[in-house]
Formats: sequence, C-alpha cells, structure tokens
Amino acid sequence: MPKHGGVLLCILLSHVFLQGFAASARIDLQKVPCSVSVQNKPLEEVFEIIEKQTHYSIVCMDQSGLMSKKVNVNAPNATLEKVLQLLATQATFNYKCLDNNIIIRAAAAQPAEAPEEKTVSGKITDAKKQPLPGVSIMVKGTRRGTITNDNGDFQIKVQEGDVLTIFFTGYQSQQVTVDKTNTYQITLLDDEKKLSEVVVTALGIKKEKAKLGYAAQEVKGADLVKARESNVISSLTGKVAGLTIHNTTDLFQDPEISLRGRKPLIVIDGIPDQSADLFKINADDVESMTVLKGASASALYGSIGQNGAIMITTKRAGSKDLSVEFNSSTQFQTSFIRIPKVQTSYGNGFKGQYTYIDGSGSGPEGSGWIWGPKLDQRDATTPSGYFETPQFNSPVDPNTGKLVPLPFLSRGKDNVKNFFRTGVISSNNISFTKSGDKGSFRASASHIYQQGIVPNTDLKNTSFNMAGNYNLSDAFSMNARISYNKEYTHNFPETGYGPTNYLYNLILWTGPDIDVRDLRNYWVPGKEGVQQRHYNTSYYNNPYFQAYEYLRGYNKDNTFGSVDLNYQFSPSFSAKFRNGINEYGLNRNYDEPKSYIGYGNKSRGQYTVSTGNYFDIVSDLVVDFNHTFSSKFKIRAQAGGSNYYRNFKYGTSNTDGLTIPGFYNLSNSASPVLATNATEERRTRSFYGLVDIELYNALYFSVTGRNDKISTLPVANNSFFYPSLTGAVVISQLVKLPEWFSFLKARGSLSRVSSGTLNDNDYTYSYLPSYSKGTIWNNTPSLTYGDVIYNTSLRPQTSDSWEAGVDTKFFGNRVGLEVTYFQTKDYNNIVSIPVSLGSGYASRLENGNVYQRRGIEIVANANPIRKGDFRWDVMVNLSTYRRYLKEISGGGNRLNYLKAGDRTDRIFTNVYQKDPSGNVIYNTNGFPLADNFKRFVGNQDPDWIYGIENSFSYKNFSLRFLVDGRIGGMIYSTTNQKMWWGGTNPGTVNAFRDDANAGKSTYVGKGVVVTGGAATYDGNGDITSDTRTFATNTQAVNYIDYMTNTSNGANNNYNYFSQTFLKLREVTLTWRVPGKWLKGTFFHSADVSAVGRNLLLFSKMPNVDPDAGADNLQTPSTRSMGFNVNLKF
Amino acid sequence: MRKIYTVATLLLIMAAGCKKFEDFQIDPNKSTTATPDLLLNTVEQSAFSVLDLSAALATRQMVFTNSVSNEQYYGWTRAGFNAYSNLRQVMKMEQEANRLGKPEYLPLVKFFKAWYFLQLTNTFGDVPYTEALKGDGGISSPVYDKQEDIFIAILKDLDDANAAITSSTTAVQGDIVFGGKMIKWKQLINSLSLRVLMSLSLKESNTTLNIKAKFANIVNHPDTYPLMTGNGDNGQLTFYDLQGNRYTHYNDNDLQTAYYMEETFIDLLKGLKDPRLFTFAEKAPKYSSLPDNDFSAYGGVKGSAPISENNDRVVAGEASKIKSRYFNNPVNEPSVALGYPELQFILAEGVIRGWIGGNAADYYNKGVTASMQFYGISQPAIDAYLTLNPYPVTNSLPAVMTQKYLSSFLSGGWQMFYEQRRTGMPVFDVSGAGVLNNKKIPVRWMYPETELQNNQQHVSEAISRQYSAGDDINALMWLLKAE
Repeated sequence: MPKHGGVLLCILLSHVFLQGFAASARIDLQKVPCSVSVQNKPLEEVFEIIEKQTHYSIVCMDQSGLMSKKVNVNAPNATLEKVLQLLATQATFNYKCLDNNIIIRAAAAQPAEAPEEKTVSGKITDAKKQPLPGVSIMVKGTRRGTITNDNGDFQIKVQEGDVLTIFFTGYQSQQVTVDKTNTYQITLLDDEKKLSEVVVTALGIKKEKAKLGYAAQEVKGADLVKARESNVISSLTGKVAGLTIHNTTDLFQDPEISLRGRKPLIVIDGIPDQSADLFKINADDVESMTVLKGASASALYGSIGQNGAIMITTKRAGSKDLSVEFNSSTQFQTSFIRIPKVQTSYGNGFKGQYTYIDGSGSGPEGSGWIWGPKLDQRDATTPSGYFETPQFNSPVDPNTGKLVPLPFLSRGKDNVKNFFRTGVISSNNISFTKSGDKGSFRASASHIYQQGIVPNTDLKNTSFNMAGNYNLSDAFSMNARISYNKEYTHNFPETGYGPTNYLYNLILWTGPDIDVRDLRNYWVPGKEGVQQRHYNTSYYNNPYFQAYEYLRGYNKDNTFGSVDLNYQFSPSFSAKFRNGINEYGLNRNYDEPKSYIGYGNKSRGQYTVSTGNYFDIVSDLVVDFNHTFSSKFKIRAQAGGSNYYRNFKYGTSNTDGLTIPGFYNLSNSASPVLATNATEERRTRSFYGLVDIELYNALYFSVTGRNDKISTLPVANNSFFYPSLTGAVVISQLVKLPEWFSFLKARGSLSRVSSGTLNDNDYTYSYLPSYSKGTIWNNTPSLTYGDVIYNTSLRPQTSDSWEAGVDTKFFGNRVGLEVTYFQTKDYNNIVSIPVSLGSGYASRLENGNVYQRRGIEIVANANPIRKGDFRWDVMVNLSTYRRYLKEISGGGNRLNYLKAGDRTDRIFTNVYQKDPSGNVIYNTNGFPLADNFKRFVGNQDPDWIYGIENSFSYKNFSLRFLVDGRIGGMIYSTTNQKMWWGGTNPGTVNAFRDDANAGKSTYVGKGVVVTGGAATYDGNGDITSDTRTFATNTQAVNYIDYMTNTSNGANNNYNYFSQTFLKLREVTLTWRVPGKWLKGTFFHSADVSAVGRNLLLFSKMPNVDPDAGADNLQTPSTRSMGFNVNLKF
Repeated sequence: MRKIYTVATLLLIMAAGCKKFEDFQIDPNKSTTATPDLLLNTVEQSAFSVLDLSAALATRQMVFTNSVSNEQYYGWTRAGFNAYSNLRQVMKMEQEANRLGKPEYLPLVKFFKAWYFLQLTNTFGDVPYTEALKGDGGISSPVYDKQEDIFIAILKDLDDANAAITSSTTAVQGDIVFGGKMIKWKQLINSLSLRVLMSLSLKESNTTLNIKAKFANIVNHPDTYPLMTGNGDNGQLTFYDLQGNRYTHYNDNDLQTAYYMEETFIDLLKGLKDPRLFTFAEKAPKYSSLPDNDFSAYGGVKGSAPISENNDRVVAGEASKIKSRYFNNPVNEPSVALGYPELQFILAEGVIRGWIGGNAADYYNKGVTASMQFYGISQPAIDAYLTLNPYPVTNSLPAVMTQKYLSSFLSGGWQMFYEQRRTGMPVFDVSGAGVLNNKKIPVRWMYPETELQNNQQHVSEAISRQYSAGDDINALMWLLKAE
C-alpha cells in the first residue's frame, strides 16, 4: 500500500507550483495593504502577522528551516508585494500568489539533511473532553493536513520540529510543535463567537451545523434523562420544529411520530433501526439526538431515509480517568390533567328504569345504558328513605327467593379515584467509562420500572450497554457497541374502545350507582374461574376481574449493536467496514378467562401465544478521502457499498376454549388449536457516494448519489438511482455585516429519493398476488382471493424535494433565528387506486397520483439575560405542514372525496342534511335527516405546532420549563361521542332528561323540517335544483331517544373537536451541589432535580387530552412529578 | 496487511452468501394458486349465510329498540356492492377450474353468478353485468346492464347449469353444502330457476321472457329438471361448534338485549295458533308465569311505532324476545338460503296463477309441513295445524304468501321482502308514527357512493335511464312494472 502516499501528493503539488512560477501575477499583491514592523522575529511569526492583516494564507513548500530564519522588517503602511520582497531578500526565497495563497519556496536548493519523517497521532477534544470530529490539522508551512475522525482522532506524517496548526470553526486555533513524542492530546478552547454545533449526519458523519445545506436540530441527551418519558423519543416533543409527536396516554404504546408529515427513520449510531422500537433505547445512554429533517439530509440511507431521520448517538468514554455516573429518577403520576368527566346524577338503566335481574342486560336492566333513574331520590315509602330497586349486590330474600331492593344512590362518584392507583416511573442507571491512549470503553446498566395506574399492570425495561473503541495499530482502529435490552411485563392494559378498555368498564358504561369497590370480589360465589361477578355480564367486564384475570404478557429481548473497522491508508485516505445488527425475540401471551366479554363474545376461556423473531443486518464498506488543502479549501469524498438483509419470522397459536378454567396452556384447548406462521425476508443492495467541498470557510457544497436494488419490487424495475445536492453559504464570512449581525447563512438543497415499498412496515409481499387462507368449515379448508388488481410492472415511487433556509445570529450570538421552507413532490406513488366494485375488485395497485407536501419550520433562540451568575435562555420552535393532492391518476376527477388541489387531510363524514342557511333538517319523526353524501367537516392537520423552552440558571440552580402544543386541526372523539350516546355526559343532565325518564317526549331538535318541494343532487352530491320549503322543526321527541340516535352530533360537529392545546410539558429545577462541598469526598459532581411532566393542559376539547392526536377512548392523561439524582464519581 | 486481505475475503464470502433478488418474488406464506374446491368452500360460506337481522326488521318480524333503525322505519338510503366481492371468488373458482380441467365446477359457477347478480339487481335495478368482474382484464369502470337483460342472462345461466350436470358429472370437492352430491345441485339450480321466474310474475305478458312457459317446462319435466324433494335437499349451511363455524348470531348481545318480536308477526302466529311461535320467541316477561305453550304468554311491539313507545312497552314487560337458542346455541339451526318449503309455496303460486296444473293445496300442505318439521314441530301438531288452517279454496294466494312469510323467519335473507314487494302480501304495518319515508315502504336502495366516485358516468347513465326522479328508494325498477 502507498506508505508514502502523503509525500507523493506533496511532491505532485510542488511540481505543479514550480511549473507555474514563471508566470506569477505580482500585480495583485501591490494592491493589498500591509503593514509590518518586526525586529529579529522568525519568518513564521511574520507570516502570521501578514495572514492576520490580509486574507492570504502563506504556505511554505519545504522543510529547509526557512521558517525559523529571523528577519527584520520595517514597512509600515506598505503593500503586501513590498513586504514580501523585503522578506524574500533577507530570507532568500521565491514566492508566488495562487488564488488566496502565497506559496513560499526557498530560492536556493539547500541540501541540509531533512529530519526523519514519522507518523504521529493524537486526539482533539473540547474543554469538556468531548472528542471533536472534523477538526483540520495542517502542518504549518505545508499543504499537508488531515481531519480528525468521528472520535476526534487523527494521524499525520511529520518531521520533528514541524508545527501543527489546528483550526476548527467556533474554537480558538492552536499550534503544537512536534517533538519526540508520537501522541498528542489537544484541547481546543471555545471561541467566544461559538458557531460550531456539531451534528451527526447521514452515515454517522459528524459535521458542523454551520456547514449544512439542510435543516437539522439537535437535542442533548442530558435534557432527556431528568423529566422522564417511558420512551426516549417522546422526550423530543416540542423540542424540534417540524417533528410532531402524538403522545399517547396509554401505557406501553408507541407515540405516533411524524417529521414533515411522514414517519422518520430511526438511526442508532449510524445503523438504521427499521424495527423502530422506541422503548429499547435508554435515555441514559443517549449522548444526543439529531433530527435530520429533509430527504437530502438522509438521502444516503436510501429509500428508508426519504422521510428524514432521527439520529441517536450513544455515549462514549471521554476522559482518561475512570468515571462512574449514577442517575436515578422517580416520578409519580398522582393526578390527572384530563379525565372524562361523567355525570353523577343518573344511574344505570334506560328511560329512567332499572331493575337488576340476572345481569344479562335487557328489559328493565336497561340494555346496559346509563339512562337510568335519578340517583339519591327521596322516597318516604322505602326503608332507607330513598328510591330502591334490586341491584347486582342485593341480597336474596331467603323467604321469597327474590332480590331485596337497595337504595339507588350515587355511591360510585369516586370510582376513578377508587380504582386507579398512583402510577410510578422509576429509572436507575449506572455507567462506567475510561479511556486510554489506545482506546476507550463505556459500560452501563439500567432499569426502568413503570407501575401503571391500572392495578396489576406494569412495564419493566432493563438494558445493558457496552461501547468501546481501540486502535489496533496506528492505522487500524475499531469501534464497537452492543446493547441488550429486555422489555417485559406480565400485564399491561388493552387500549382502544371496547369491553377490553378500563375506562369503558369503569366510567363510560358503569353508572354512578355502582361503587367499584363492591366489585373487588370478582367471581360469582361457587363459580370461581367460570363466571365473573358484575352488574352486567353481557356487555361489560368487572374492572378488577379484567385487571387480575385478563392478562397480556409481553416479553421482548432486543440485541443491537455494531462493529466498525477503520483503516487509515494515509492521512487523507481511509476505508471503513461497518456492520450493524438489530435483533429481537418477542413472546406474547393473552390469557382470557372464562366469562370475559368481548364484542359479541362471551369467552369460553382462551389462550393465545404469539412469537416473533426479527433480525436485520446492514453492512457498509466505505472508502473515505478527505483532504484539507488549506484552511480555505477542504474536500471530502466517500464512496461505498451496502447490503441490507432482513428476516422476520412470526406466528400465533390460539385455543378457542379452555377445558380447565384458568389453566393457560395450549394443551388445555377444548378444540383443535389454530396456528399461523409467516416469514418475511427482504434485501437491499446499494452503492452510494458523496462529495463535500468547503471553500473559504464560507461555501459548502455536498453532492450525493445512491443506487438501490431492492427485493420488494418486480425484478425488472428493482434498481434505481437518485441524487441530492445541498449547499450552504455563510454570508457573514464573505461580506462585512454590521457588528450586531453576527452570523448569516443561506442554505438550500435539492434531492430525489425513490423507494419500492408501500410502507416499510407493510407486509413485505403485499405487491404480489396470492390467495389467503379462508375459514376452515368443519375441517374443510378454503382460500380467498383479495380485492386488489396487481400491476406486474410496478416502478419505484419517487419524491423530489427542495428546501431553502436562512440561519442568522445577532448580538454576539445572543439571538438566533433559523427559517426553513420545504416542498416535496411525491409521484409514481405506489398507491391503491379505487375502482368500481363492479369490476370485481376494490382497487388497483399502481404507480400513480401526485402529492405535494410543503411546510415552514422556524427555530428561534435568545439569551435575553446574561448578567453575572444569572442567565436566561429561550428557544421557540414553530412549524406548519400541509399535504395536497395535485394530480389524480387514471383521468378521474375525484379520488374518493378529494379533487385535485385539495388538502389530503380533509375530513368527510356522515352528516345530517342542512338547508341553504345551514340549519339541520329534521325528519317527520323529530330526528335529524341523514344526508345521502358524506360531507366535509374540517381539516385534520393542525395549522401550527409549537414549543417554547425557557431555561434559567443562577449559581448552582437551574430551572427549565417547556410548553408546547398545536393550533387547529380536528380530531374525532370517541370518548365524547360515547358519553353523549350512553348517557354519561354531564351535558345530558337537564330537564329534558327528567321528562324522558317520566316517559315524556319534550325535546325538539334545533332545525327545520321540509314542508314541500325537493332537491336534486348530481353525482358529487352537489345540489342541482332545490324547490324545498322549510319550517321550523316542532316535533318533540324523547330526549333519551334523541341522544341514543344522534350522539348529539347535530349540535356537536359530529363529535369532531379542534385539537388546539397548550401543555406545560416539562419542568426541571436542578441544584448542583457546590464543588467545594464535594472536596475530599469521592464525588466529582452531584446534582438533584425536582421534575414534573404534563403538569398543565389548556384545551377546549372536553374530556380528552388532544396530545394523542386521536381519541379512541384513551387512558386518562396523568400528571407526573418526582425527582432526579445524578452523581458522578 | 494480511489482516486487511482477510477482512476483504470475509466480505466477499458474505456477499456471496446473499440470496438473489429473483428469489424474493414469491410470497412464502401464501399460495399463488388455488384449486377450485378451496374457493367453492369460500363461496358457499358467504352465499348460504343469509341470517340477516335487518331483513327481519324490514319484514316486520322483529323490532330494534336501542335506536332508530333505518330498516325498521323504512328510512334507508344506500346499499353496497359487496356481492361483487363474492363474485370475484366465483370468478377465481372458474379460472382455477378451467386451468386444472375440472368442468364439474362450471355449472356451480353459473349458479353462484346467478345467485349474486339476483341479489344485486333486486337491490338496485340495473347493475354492471356484461362488463362486470373484468377488473384484471382492464375494465375498472364497467357499464351498467339493463335489468331485463340481466334476468334473461341469469335464466340462461341456470338453464345451462342444469344441462351441464349429468349423471356422469364428477362430484365437486370442498362442497360443505351438499358434500359433492351433484343431483342436489341440479335440484337447487332448478328450484332457483323457479324462484327467479316467479319473481318475474309482473312480467307475465313479456314475450321475450316467456316466463309462464319456462316455469311450466321445468315443473313438467322432472327428469330433465329435477327439483328439491324435501328438507334434506335444502340449499342450506349447517353450523358447527368450531371457531368461525358457529351460528351467525351466537353470542350476539344486541339480539339478546335490544331486539324484540314484532307485534303483527306475533299476532299472526297467535291468530293461526301456530306452534312455531314457541320455537321463535320467548314468553314476554309480564306473562312469564304462563306455560310455554300458551299463546297469550307472547307479545310484541310494533315495528312502526316510535321508539319511545316501544321502550315503554318493553320496560312494561309486554314484548317477547327471540328464543334464546338464537344467541345461546352455537349451532342452532342451519341457514337456509333456498329451501323446500319455499319451493312448495312457489309451486302453489304457480298453480294459482295458472302457469302449471296440479293441486295447489297439496303444495301448500307440503310447504307448511316441511317448514314445521324444520323447526321440530311434531307430526300430530302439524296435522292439527293444517286442520285448523287448511288451504283456502278462494283467495288462496294470500294464504300461500302468509305461510311463505311465516316460514321465512331468520331464513332466506331478503327474499321475503322481495316477495312482499312483488305481491303486496302480507301487508307490512306502516301505521305507527315512527315510520319514515312518508310512510311508504321503499322498493329499492340507492347506488353506493363509491360508484359515484369511481364509475360516475355509468352509474349516472343507469340512474337517468331508469328513474326519472333520480336515485330514489321509492323509484320503481323494471322488475316491478307490470307488463
């Protein structure tokens, strides 16, 4: 291998310069003002003075000791030409101007013995001992240089006595003279005008943010560990513009993440994790998370990266000393910020009647409605003095064998408080780090325990993590990481509307006449294991029975890690071979006791076991060339190949009835066990390359290209290429701006990304026609054929995006503003185009339809106060996003309900007819008249998404708080609809209800009736002629009938609500133990924090926390408060 | 340096171990081909599942009390095109039968095509027929055929299907209805022909259709056109206590708690002293102390009455629920799509209309007997019933239709609604204040909204050529216009 590669390059360059010497253009230098007066200074120092005064770099081409020659110059107010002439005469050299460089070469060949050349290595860190990647190291007086790698390491060939100049935007430059030692630890100090935020970009390449041509935002791991979320991604809420996180209130459910409207790729230390398990990463192990927003940012990941990426960088060892860090965080969910508020005036029953018979729920039992008699009604004729009726807990009169009536009282007012318990989330982590000359090591262990608010539910999460790097030789280094994580619970709550939901059983469909504590003994005496005890055993489950007998176990073992091998062929040329794996094994069980109620299913005892085994591996071989020609011209080029392979095997077995109650084993199945299994495999092979060019520390360009060959498209179309181009111009480096205008950058990017799968999580073979298994009828098998027409020549779908943005900083970087606009055209989409059902099919799988996504992201930060020990920082994120249907394939003028040009988030739903002035039209029976067409009721996407973070610090105290929310956008609320429907909504407590209970029809819906004429509609539902005449509706109906039929939809926008909200998301008050107190102890540092999450919610949406972005009877939204302790040894 | 070569070699080995891209083009978890028997099973499961509670509401046999039911109160609007999805399975069965050279499935293909297109045209009027089911041939917005043409095609298909089954026809496999007994298929096909011909009774003078002669031709040539001979030949789906094989309404909470018997239906049974009442309904709570076989222990609420009125009566314990076996028994009784009793009533009507000769009373008695046997009524009770309610010499069609109606409880899908639509018999009560649609019983459904979106031109053409007032539930389709 070219051991002397660097030297060769140098010689080559020298040759070029010598050729050019004859025609040097000295005229320019005469125009450059220069003023030098020195006495007996080495030439090197004089050149530094010149470099500071002019924008020229002076590069010395040889090692003849020329630079240490001492000179005297007295040339005030001269020109550069004049100064150089004076120096050249004294020190005997030739010089030449080439662009902004002045090349110096000793005039006479001086055959002085050159010191022996050797390779030295070193590590460059910041003041906090964090390695700095991408730092330029130049051998002073030469054009030789190198850049530190991702670990801050570098090597360079030098001779003793050479001076290394280290420069990195945002830090003070430094010079180090090479002596006899071969390794150097160099610490760069912050420049006051710090610009350099280093972010992790695609393929794990670290770059200064100032050089990026696209939007990216970083969140430090330290900000994530204190006020905990159960998964680390949820902690990003409100912190990144353009990133929407719909936080679910349910235990152990993934939040819905969307970046610019699409689900981003999760990348852990450069390895994409398409299984995207958000719970497997422990926040304690996270160094930082960088959100790369556009397709350009992540184009190098290929198709999977087309929606941007969340890059998670895990912690590595920093300092040479052994460091032990312990972090403990505990939070209690003591109260609710939003819980369905139900009425407590009326009990179970229907039309004001309720008599418990046997729990089968019909007739006088009221079919399970909460439209029963008024509670706490005085009745002088009964023993208790209150209205009495037989209830589920009535004793049986031994004489008559009948149930004894009990007073009908509001005993269940506090059911929520009595049933739910305090949730706890507790997290403990310990880590050990140490580094040496050859490498570093970090190991950590952590455990998170979450106690659910539902009794007998929890979630445990244990992680072990090891990471290290080692220099196997001067040129050969290795970097590896492995994490093991286990997520396990014997039971966590079922979510979604239905008899499996706790709120469904606890408040939505349990009248306030029932005290949940009376249900604590949940078996019918004598029928233990066979029949649950409940007031209604045909629709609902006893919540305790559900919590203790209906168990959903989850056991997942995640293993993920990577091994990188890096070989440095020469200072500028290296190759990296990287392998990353993600693996998991999943075991789930569903224990369903006898008499458990599902929809239309009274369980005979069921047991289901499901398993999954997932494995993926990505291998990349990348060659990397980077060279710093001068501080004003750097180039980095990479070319690589990649292979991705995934294998996913899964299966489910279930019984349809248990022989022995409560014995959950497939062998206990009463009838044949049903089982299914499947395997999915996919592969992607890619070649890619990128070239980064940096000019004048002000112009940055990056070009990428990638070719994918994928297994999820027909072979004829499975290979495709796509490029990207990004550029950034730091205008403030080029143009003199007013003093207060510290920084100005313009950036832009263009990219194309193609992909070949409908959706990464879709069934892998969904583009291939096949038969599915049908119902086996009395042991005779069957098959069915799906309703999709397949196109056998599907092509990849493509997104063309561009974005442009401006980054600015003012007043010595105390105020900053970043604005980005993006626009993406999605075409050749692999979409299901609906067809007439008369064709025998429902849709065609085709390339088609054109969509456009566009949006604006604004990030502003300010440091309004920085006075003495007090500091106040503010950051504001603001973003908006829209998606439009631009073209419809197949010539149709509509795609379902949308026309070309429409927003795609338009909501159409079943509505009632309205007259031209907007009044609801009523039928002759007093109920609103259904429209034959679905109608537009609002848009789903919010107008704006925002987050505001404030942090204050004073001496040892710091306080951070984050508010965030969304403005606009509609969501459908199942909770509210069911509350109106079922009789639990407080709005149903009124005189009409009392009338209805008394059998009177007194409610007149607000609206009109048609008195004559007719309206005709065209095929789109638009009225073509209208001769209708209207009169005010006067037909009274029974209020309960009205609600059970309409769910109040006519008065309530069909239960669509605006999701506008503001949430006090996070508050952290930290006290750092003063250093002097720790002196003499073995602690290095210690801090204690009081933390809170989800403390306050302001929203007009009733009963539901709109944060989740959807409501299908969500778990009540809890408020968390607790503390965090961090100790370093 | 050697290490580098080692790594490079390892890399090459790893790359060579990769699976080729061609090898991923087959779904390893599903079959890409099928045999026709597997599809026949699927088709039979859906075609013979006809236990639709909506039809029981629309035919005034049951009442729903939880909310305003559009079926019960005649306020419905659109129906769906799901039958085409079932037809897709039929079409696939045809393709696979042809591919594998199994012609014995082809007559069944014709039968099921006729079966589903009947459903479609009875629901809407004109529907896509000739261009239908050709989505994989590139026709994604098929034109609509005239109802008359569809009926002609259906009759021809059934005729051809009958002719295609001979004594030497191989038995089909996967037949969960008749176990591959082809003669039973032949009987069912011809029985369906008679049902179709009778459904065209308003077209008696249409010479193109010539229904009268066709009807007679089938009845008079039992060797060529064998018909069902008893309940054992019923086109019906039997349920099993196995996952997915259970009675359609097993464990149906609504059926248990929110459905009640309709008063006119109960009164009809009570008036005729019909013992089937005891197998259809539970006693009303109010009369629970009376013996099970006391007709006065049963009651209903009115399908036409406002919901609040019915609720009051339910709470007062006046209404009978459906017999508990309908939601408690996982097997209960089979779902009869086309049964022997109905055939007998068709034949009785044929005699009454003078299309065929023969003894209408005989057909009537056989029909009533078979229906009662189906519900497990004892022979003496049947005999007593027939003595009490003999075939009337005059005004006999209403009696036949009444018996057809009584035998249709949770059986035959919407057929009884169509029979009533054709004959006006029996009269469905619309007297109550709850009835929508200006107290009219709708005679059709509006086309699905998806057709307006995905096939607007053709559906609009069909609407304008059939219904001058537009796509209306009260508009008369060709079938219902006498000629």
